[in-house]
Amino acid sequence: MRETLKLGIILFIFTVVSAGVLAMSNNATKGKIAELEMAGSLGALQEIFGEDAKFQPLDEGKQNEIIEANPSVVEIFVALDGDSASGYAIKNVSKGFGGDLVLMTGFNLDGTVSGMRVLEHSETPGLGARSEEPEFTNRFIGKSVSEEITVEALSGATSTTNGVLAGVNAAREIFNSQLSN
Amino acid sequence: MKLFKIFKNGIIQDNPIFVQLIGMCSTLAVTTSVSNGLAMGLAVVVVLMGSNLVISLLRNSTPEKIRIPAFVIVIATFVTIVEMFMKAYAQPIYQSLGIFLPLIVVNCIIFARAEAFAFKNGPVASLIDGLGMGLGYTLALVTLSTVREIFGAGSFFGISLFGESFQPAGILVMPPGAFIVLGILIGIFNVARRKKATSQI
Repeated sequence: MRETLKLGIILFIFTVVSAGVLAMSNNATKGKIAELEMAGSLGALQEIFGEDAKFQPLDEGKQNEIIEANPSVVEIFVALDGDSASGYAIKNVSKGFGGDLVLMTGFNLDGTVSGMRVLEHSETPGLGARSEEPEFTNRFIGKSVSEEITVEALSGATSTTNGVLAGVNAAREIFNSQLSN
Repeated sequence: MKLFKIFKNGIIQDNPIFVQLIGMCSTLAVTTSVSNGLAMGLAVVVVLMGSNLVISLLRNSTPEKIRIPAFVIVIATFVTIVEMFMKAYAQPIYQSLGIFLPLIVVNCIIFARAEAFAFKNGPVASLIDGLGMGLGYTLALVTLSTVREIFGAGSFFGISLFGESFQPAGILVMPPGAFIVLGILIGIFNVARRKKATSQI
């Protein structure tokens, strides 16, 4: 009994020290990580809507409501033309082949897709990773939101394509039901 | 020059991939491009050196009965630290390594060296062993991914080599291709290693 207690206490000490070291590392890196995520989103937004467009996050109450009903949504942005909204962008997560896909899909108020970007992925280089390339992302531009969006698949990367489509269509549904009015 | 022998051991005589045949899972999955292979190799070097050092320093304070959980705690802590810093300072590599970065925790190589070497030797020797084994692993990964990327995707480090008309052998960037190329490399490495060993007698 005494030995078990002693072994337990030693392991506990190991774990406490480890937790302390990890907390320090987390503090040292979390600022940079948040910065990078914001920069990534902003960069994608400017590519989709144009360099001169201005953005702001969707009103917090509305955004929280949407995220509660759709947990795969990360953030929603409003594209501004002066003071009024000229479009919306939805950042959401969907399942790819090698892990999660983080997508940003932009919608114009006239009901067409203004662009799509893959922000994060763990897909195979040369196959699913090509979903980042304009040759693939351009296929989404101009698609109408009134029906399910489909595009020509990336050859050799059907799973990745399906993952992207699932994410884009989830965003499309949110745009239709919550934002286009 | 005992330390140099330990170092060389990890790269040639006991190369974890080509000779010991451990840690293969990540080797096959991550070597679709040279930048991935190199990044993974270097991450493993850092974790190996760190965990070998800490486990060696604590070897007298760790009761044998709980050494396995103790190893896991140390290794997992180092891997998590590497993950956090990679996410903050090397985002693209962090993303392309995906799930294989946290999987370094259960990489057989790290466990094997903790148990077989770090737990029984001094800190400096353990540090060097970690470096040698890690670099041996990196060498294997870079070689494998060079072959797979050049012939399977027509590029090296992301730079396209051959131009539009080149039809790469797609199978090489997929799992069967990984096994085939790895098998061939293991054969070549061991033939060369034995030839060198016999010629030195």
